[in-house]
Parts: sequence; structure tokens; C-alpha cells
Amino acid sequence: MLRGHMPDGASNSPLSRMGAILTGPRPGFVSVLGLAVAGLVLLWLFVNAVQTPELFANVALIGLTNGAVFGLVALGYTLVYGILQLINFAHGDVFALSGLVGFTVLFSVFKVSADAASVMTVLAVLAALAITVPLFATINATIEFVAYRPLRHSPRLAALITAVGVSFIVQNIGLYFYDVRFRSASQLLPRDPVFELGDISYSWNKLIVLLITVPALIALTWFVRNTRQGKAMRAVAQDRDAAAMMGIDVNRTISVTFALAGSLAAIGGMLFLTQFNLRYDTGFELGLIAFTAAVLGGIGNLQGAVLGAMLIGFIQAFNEGLTWLSPGSDWTRSIVFGILIAILVFRPEGLLGERTPEGA
Amino acid sequence: MSSHGQAAEGRSNGVVLRLDDVHTYYGAIHALKGISLEVREGEVVTLIGANGAGKSTTLRSINGLNTPRRGRITFEGRDITNAPAHEVVKLGISQAPEGRRLFPRMSVYENLEMGAFQRSDRHALKEDVDRVFGLFPRLAERKDQKAGTMSGGEQQMCAIGRALMARPRLLMLDEPSMGLAPIFVERIFEIVKEINEQGTTILLVEQNALMALDAANRGYVLETGQIALADEASALRENEQVRKAYLGET
Repeated sequence: MLRGHMPDGASNSPLSRMGAILTGPRPGFVSVLGLAVAGLVLLWLFVNAVQTPELFANVALIGLTNGAVFGLVALGYTLVYGILQLINFAHGDVFALSGLVGFTVLFSVFKVSADAASVMTVLAVLAALAITVPLFATINATIEFVAYRPLRHSPRLAALITAVGVSFIVQNIGLYFYDVRFRSASQLLPRDPVFELGDISYSWNKLIVLLITVPALIALTWFVRNTRQGKAMRAVAQDRDAAAMMGIDVNRTISVTFALAGSLAAIGGMLFLTQFNLRYDTGFELGLIAFTAAVLGGIGNLQGAVLGAMLIGFIQAFNEGLTWLSPGSDWTRSIVFGILIAILVFRPEGLLGERTPEGA
Repeated sequence: MSSHGQAAEGRSNGVVLRLDDVHTYYGAIHALKGISLEVREGEVVTLIGANGAGKSTTLRSINGLNTPRRGRITFEGRDITNAPAHEVVKLGISQAPEGRRLFPRMSVYENLEMGAFQRSDRHALKEDVDRVFGLFPRLAERKDQKAGTMSGGEQQMCAIGRALMARPRLLMLDEPSMGLAPIFVERIFEIVKEINEQGTTILLVEQNALMALDAANRGYVLETGQIALADEASALRENEQVRKAYLGET
């Protein structure tokens, strides 16, 4: 969707006006349906918020934190899709492997003791990031170089299937080195409350996630908007050949994009490790959730990926945490992937994406 | 007929660009079957020919987007046959590609900035933007508009302006008049002459042979990947074959 060329006034041609007339009733029906569903969801949230306000607030804070972690992974999908139009299915597995390697760095290299959180353990998490981030930036760029670059001029399907293959390879590397056990570092970040308002509380381990994620997102946005390399990324995403004609090294730019995506995945993997537990195949499902978030926001759109991830984080938390008429955790997957299908059918360009002739 | 193939080697006689028996393929398709041509300093040289004759492929072979399988391309005496596209710009060749290929979601100003991407003297950016705005006052009015939302003529101005931002010594224009209203076509060709008078050598690819031959010093006629004719532009304009095939006369 980022590379589409723009025929002059295509949107005003008689043909597309005709199309608009023919398909006229459909958006009407869909928006009525969509508004009805959104209305019911809002009503459900409202009733829950009134009945159990403290629970509602606590669950919303959990959703915010989880959404931030999803956002780091979703950005990796959207960055790569934006520049190559490739859905990099290996991304979720790179994320999970980075968490497992993070575990090794923390407990085998730094020999952190997992008993009690302290300033030292928080610093250890940051120091471990200083190792895993560059490592997984390199790994992700290498994946592109080895697996995707030779297929640059092949049909998109070839690269897509290769991405599925790379996903299996990365997952099995995780299985080989880390077997099937779950790993967690949930004791390393302090769980004391940052604030308590009655029964509403927010603990430090969750705030630290935001304290790391938000600056990372701001830095990424700044990088893409303002730096020379960021401008090169945007140019390559919009028109690869034209970018080359401007003197932009397209291959290098694509490598940088994969390195950035790998860095974000490594931050996400480490934070996930400190909140939950993960093993070799965690990346499969989390990758799909993050991919859904990217599509929800409008794949290729950075702000969209973060917005989509936040929404998915809230949806998951509300669904699992609220009590009145809540479907519960058994339904989380069905709901998240139901959303994916609904977006692809009714609004393939996502919430913030642009309609293009090619579609999304 | 005589200008092609006789010039001596090197820069001494002002040859800026030389193609020697260039063969380029698209996959299995033999698109260029031995193109030889040259462009001298200060000239406007035009390539004319029908759709699919190989005009754009010739430009893509020069700018590095397609690497020729055989033959040699030299620019200012330097072999650029295998140079990647981003290096070719650095050496001093820039292009306004066919279909304009602006960055649609960047503003006009950002597009112009991208044109100067490879330059190290980026402090001179302002000066060059002013030069482009001088040539195309319309772009100054629209500098904050998204390039993809402008009219075809405005986009073409922006594409030429963007190519100029690289401070090229050879400017390649691919079908600058394509799809434009007649009033814009004339304006674009006036600008081409103006840019040339300011000292930039130009290689112009056009389907509008009449306008192209009016603007050019010399021309090459391409047919199915080969050079069919090469001569002074004025002579080509009088040529019986050219008049029939490309100038719409019977």
C-alpha cells in the first residue's frame, strides 16, 4: 500500500464515481452495523465501569501495559511491511527468542538472583537490554539479508512463504536451546505500588514497562520523521526505484529497517519476560496478535500500529478482567482474530491507513 | 547520420556520456540490442521512438536500475556500467522518471529535499530550492502540499525540480510531457531549454517527437531496442521516415 503510484485524478474518474454509486449502499450498511457493535461494546464497558469502578480501572491499567508490549512487536510488522510489503511472519519468533536470550543474559551471564527485586535487578534488566537490542537488530537484519533479499524481485508470495519458513527455523532454534519449559523474570522488577487510590493501584513493574516503551516509541517516531536515514526509509517505502534515483542506498535502508524492527522486538521480549512467562513458541501467537494490532491500526502506519496494539491490549484485559457479561479468557483469541477478519473484510486499510488503489 | 560512432575517446571533445553496444535484458526479454550513443557537454539530446522501443530501458541502464549484460557505459570518462543507482546520482546524473514517481505522501518541499539526498553540501539546499522555485513559481505556492495530491503538470514540475536538486551535470528526463495538458507541455519544454541554457546537459526521452526535436540539438530514433537513426535534430525533423512514423504526417 505504500508504493502505489498515483494516476492523475484517479479518484475523480467517471469509472470510480460509477463504482462509488454501485457500492454506495454497502458502506452505509457496514457503518450502521459497525456503530451498533461499537455502541454495544461501549454500553458493556459503561455498565462494568459503574458496577465495579475499581476493577475497571485496574483492568484498564493492565490493558495499557500489555498494549505497550504488543505495540513494540506490532511496530516491527508495520515497519517491515511498509518498506517491503512483506508480512514478516518470523517477527513474533524473533521476539520470543529475544526474550529467551534475555533470560540467559540475566541469569547466566549477569547471574542475577531471582529472589527479590532491587535497584540492582532493575539495572540488570537495562544492562541486558544493552546486549539483546544490538544482538537482535543484527539477527533481524541478517534474516533479511539471507532469506528475503534474494527474493526481492520474486513474486510477493515467495517471500511470504519464506517468512513462514524462517518463523519455523527461529522457533526451533528456541526449542533446541531452551527446550519446552517456560521462562520468566517476573521477580526482577519491584511490585510495590506507584500509587494507590482505594483499591486502584499501579505497580512499579508495570510502570517500568511504560517508562521503557514510551521513550522507545518517541525515539522511533523522531528517527523516522527527522533523521536522514528515517527520510530514506520513508522514501523507499513510498517508491523504491525513485528512492534509488535520489541516491538512497535501498539495500542499506532495508537493512536498517530490519535492525530497527529487531531492536523493538528485543525490548518487547525483555519486557514480556519481566511480566509473563514465555517459551520457544510464545512468539507464534503473540506475533499474530501483534500482526492483528498492526492491521487494525493500518499496516505500514507507525502511529496506527501503536493505536491498534493499545486497543488490543484493552480488549484483552477487559475481556479477561471484567465480571459483568464478560466472555472471559477462553474467548480472547476468538475475539482478537475475529477483529482481524472483520477489519480485513470491512476496512482493510485499518483505522489510520489510507485507501489506495492496491488496497492494503 | 554521421554524428554517431565517430567521436574519439575521452572528455577532450566534450563527450559527457557514452553508451557502447549496450545490451540490457528484462528477465529473458532482450530489451536493448546494442545501443551506442553519446551526449556531449551542453547538448540537449533526445531519444524518440514508439512505446516499447527501449527508451526508458536505455535510461534505466544508464542510471543503474537495470545493469546491462553486455556493453559499456561511461560518464565523464568513468565506467558506470555496473554502478548501482545510488552511486550514479552521486557521480552527477539525475533523472525525472517516467510517470514522475514523486513520493506521494511527502510534501513538495520534502520531495525537493530528497532530490539533494546524496549531496554533502547540504547547507546549499536553500539556494537550490530557491532556484527550483524560481523556475517553477507554482511549486513555491504549494511547497507544503502533499505531492500526490497535485495535478499532473505540477507533479512533473516537482519531479524536474527534484532532479535538479542533485545539481546534476547530466539531467535525464523521461517523458516529461506525458499526460499533460498542452499548456503545460509547452511550459515544460520552455523550462527544459532554460535549464539547458543555465549549463546542464540534458538527455530527453519523449514520445512527443515534434516538441522533443524542437528542443534538442541532436536526436536518436529507437526501434525495437536498436538505434534506427541518429542525426541533428533539424535533419531528423525533415527526415521522410521520421515525419511519417513519429510526426504524424502521411
